[in-house]
Amino acid sequence: MNGRIVIAIALLALAAALVFAARPHEVTADERIDQITTELRCPVCQGLSVKDSTSETARQMRDLVTQRVREGKSNAEIQAEFRAAYGDWIFLSPPVASWSGLVWLVPIAALGAGLVLVTGRLRGADAPPPAEPSATQVAALRERVAREEAAEG
Amino acid sequence: MSAGDLGAAALRAALFLSLWGTGASIYAAWRRDARALASARIAAGVGFALVVIAALSMMFALATHDFSILYVAENNARETPTFYSIISLWAALEGSILLWTGILAGATAFIAFRGTIAIPRLATTALAVMFAMLTFFLLLITTPAADPFTRLALAPDNGNGPNALLQNHPLMALHPPLLYLGYVLTSVPFAYAIASLILGEGGDRWLVATRRFALISWALLGVGIVAGAWWSYAVLGWGGYWAWDPVENAAIMPWLTSTAYLHSVMVEEKRSLLRTWNLALVVATFALTILGTFLTRSGVVNSVHSFSLSAIGPLLLGYLVAILVLSVGLLLWRSARLRDAGPIGAPLSREAIFLFQNVLFMAATLTVLLGTLYPLVAEAVSGAQLSIGGPYFDRVEIPLALALLFLMGVGPQLPWNGASRATLERQFTAPIVAAAAGALAALITGTTALAAVLTYALGAFVIATVVQEFARGVRARGTLHGESGLTAFLNLLRRSGRRYGGYVVHVGIVLVALAVATSQARTVDAEQTLAPGETLVVAGYTVRLDAIRPVSEPQRDSIVADLIITGNGASEHLRPALVQYPNSSSAVGSPGIGAGLRDDLYTILAAYDQRTFSWATIRMRVIPGVSWLWLGGAVVGIGALIAALPVPRRRTVRMPVAEVAVSAK
Amino acid sequence: MLARVVRIAVVVAMLGLVVTLALAFRRDPHDIRTGTIGKPAPVFTLERLDGSGKVALADLSGKVVVVNFFASWCLPCTEENPALVRVYERYRASDVVMLGVNYQESRDNGLAYVQRMGMGWTTVADDDGRVALSYGVFGPPETFFIGPDGVIAGRHIGPIDEATLVNAIETLRARAAR
Repeated sequence: MNGRIVIAIALLALAAALVFAARPHEVTADERIDQITTELRCPVCQGLSVKDSTSETARQMRDLVTQRVREGKSNAEIQAEFRAAYGDWIFLSPPVASWSGLVWLVPIAALGAGLVLVTGRLRGADAPPPAEPSATQVAALRERVAREEAAEG
Repeated sequence: MSAGDLGAAALRAALFLSLWGTGASIYAAWRRDARALASARIAAGVGFALVVIAALSMMFALATHDFSILYVAENNARETPTFYSIISLWAALEGSILLWTGILAGATAFIAFRGTIAIPRLATTALAVMFAMLTFFLLLITTPAADPFTRLALAPDNGNGPNALLQNHPLMALHPPLLYLGYVLTSVPFAYAIASLILGEGGDRWLVATRRFALISWALLGVGIVAGAWWSYAVLGWGGYWAWDPVENAAIMPWLTSTAYLHSVMVEEKRSLLRTWNLALVVATFALTILGTFLTRSGVVNSVHSFSLSAIGPLLLGYLVAILVLSVGLLLWRSARLRDAGPIGAPLSREAIFLFQNVLFMAATLTVLLGTLYPLVAEAVSGAQLSIGGPYFDRVEIPLALALLFLMGVGPQLPWNGASRATLERQFTAPIVAAAAGALAALITGTTALAAVLTYALGAFVIATVVQEFARGVRARGTLHGESGLTAFLNLLRRSGRRYGGYVVHVGIVLVALAVATSQARTVDAEQTLAPGETLVVAGYTVRLDAIRPVSEPQRDSIVADLIITGNGASEHLRPALVQYPNSSSAVGSPGIGAGLRDDLYTILAAYDQRTFSWATIRMRVIPGVSWLWLGGAVVGIGALIAALPVPRRRTVRMPVAEVAVSAK
Repeated sequence: MLARVVRIAVVVAMLGLVVTLALAFRRDPHDIRTGTIGKPAPVFTLERLDGSGKVALADLSGKVVVVNFFASWCLPCTEENPALVRVYERYRASDVVMLGVNYQESRDNGLAYVQRMGMGWTTVADDDGRVALSYGVFGPPETFFIGPDGVIAGRHIGPIDEATLVNAIETLRARAAR
């Protein structure tokens, strides 16, 4: 079979699998409890989430979240209840909307700047690649390999 | 003379020798004075021996429960078993800095005796840098701030005992020394880089001289991190292995920059490009190890319930500032001399992939640094108190990690200088088919989270590239040397270890990624209060509480739940416990773990009836695939070892031109 | 030009890093501000530890209320208890109410501790921890000062001493008198 057709079929299958994985689906109550407790910081632990912690406090917080979800409260309402008691400190990832959104922006900006810098240093895509190494270059290379191995011991 | 006196005296003598060695090696490098170098060598050798004596006397004092030493009284008790007594050398601040100093003294001695033979001037200058750093650490542990041998006027009858978490698992013997070795060995490439900058050498001799050190320190850091993850999995009792805790972040940052360096250094070796960048990476890696030590040892970032601010914080900060000023200053001063000529390569060349990979690693490092420090910045600037933890790091780092996984497959398949269309098709057909198969395999096995499916696809992609590379290498050796399959395979690893060992490392990283993706996506847990004889069913496993009983040992009292687990072909007897150490106010949970290649059964005794033992609350987590994380760590270590082993000498010199061209490609 | 920008950026970043780390020394880990100070105290109705009925915070409005979260397993609680006892004796005839909320333990253990430590004031059981969570408690001991207007005026984390207690109470009484 032609190589390109194989690649095309494989890419299609890959895309289908990813689309299937990313398909929107109804969030169950248990998933909501998981989502909320993953974001909540356990007050008596070293940076663990309420979902992960085995402490009594985390257990009580999980029970509270479970009860609120059953009562039909929205995620935002439940979060507001914890914010009222503990402040923003209780959330393990800072809100994007305030100026603490910087913490989200900086990595993305750095990544973008880095990619721009690197792309600027690359040769144009259509420029021809340099010729194959000549016999003398290969010989020099061979000599260097031997020298470096010797230097390294 | 007691062990404490001996250790204290040895450290003070070592400090004197280190000061001497600093002066002597500076003079030797400046004047090219052989006698000064000889005396610096002796200072390094004897200094190392003295620090080892100090560390051994601390171990002896711990093993013999000599409570007249403050460190022993605080971190040891008569009941502590000998094994945990000895490894308590690194159970607290002063002892771990002593261990750190010992490793640094060892590295200094190694450079003094081995390094200065091949390239005398550069190595002697590097030796001076090593001595200066050693002097700082020896000063640190001979000042009251961190003196491990501080005496008590009146020795107590019994000591406090080690921290409960640190005497609960034998992995404690392995994980801190591995990490410290990794941390400290980054100082060798750093010292050579600084020496190269001071001497104004434009060449890459420093890099050739230290690349084995860089590789070994990287591997030790990586294996140490995995061992630490394993320790926290086996001890902390929440069923996870990574929590983006400041201590963990401190370890991962230098590992990330070091990984970037190991790749970009190949661009310098092959193309003589990126000189400043590689120097900067070496400096950053080293500075991050010091920053990490500062963060975790000074108490500035920690949980709300730790209230101690150690006195060595300002000293470590001063040290960090000195290192930054010196190295950034040198880099800026010399950067004109190191400027690269010309562009780097086509977008689809191996060097371009290395560059993109470096950018991703930098973004990943910056994110960890920012996330760790941002709460401090926010509080200093606006007084706002906020937390940055798992969800933040996961959101930023997982996409970066996936992109890196992709590049890990692409990079080795592209030739230096750029690829033609035909090359691309030849190199990537099989890996792309493998990626599709990997994604489907994820869905079929029930791993449906998007990030996990991507991980499976990219993991299969990378594995396919590695298999393809090995297959071609084996075939080439078959043609060139007439070797059979297995011989050719082993010879690839032995004779082209840097390249093929690197591929083995890639396989290890893929195993780690798959383990993380699987365990994150498919962990199931349940919690129930059971009376003896009752059962709990989780993900097809049946947990029966057989009994709950107290167990007494000299150093601790435990409540143990006997659980019988059946189902899915498993039959396990697990014993999660709550352990009470005399020096700890609350009991420490000790999970009962049934490890398996498919699922780990992780059980925790959460609560129990304290009067009649009539019930126990059991939490059971079924964590699929997590064992592959430790296996992956081991594969990374093995791959790095293959890459670091010296190539057999005779063969290399006689290496035929054709093969040099192949391996240089 | 670009190289210069990069150089300056590197130097600025390094400076920022060092300044941040230096500033971090000034941070007091004791000083944790939660969302509840300056806001109306979350209301609750809890059963007394000795089983003699319930206590509602709403019934105490108009008084200065000192809410102290404690547990028998908490060593600093034992440490601060004498101060609490003295302050309780000093104000027992006044309009200051002390309320002990037992934190994360069985009522039997809590009650035994209350009797052993001579805690004469009202103590209540917070069985499911909801009240502690609504006040943003990290762990015992923690003490909240609620004014006559029902607003949380202050909070102390960790063992408290007599002077701090008296000072906080007197401030609230003076404000109420005005």
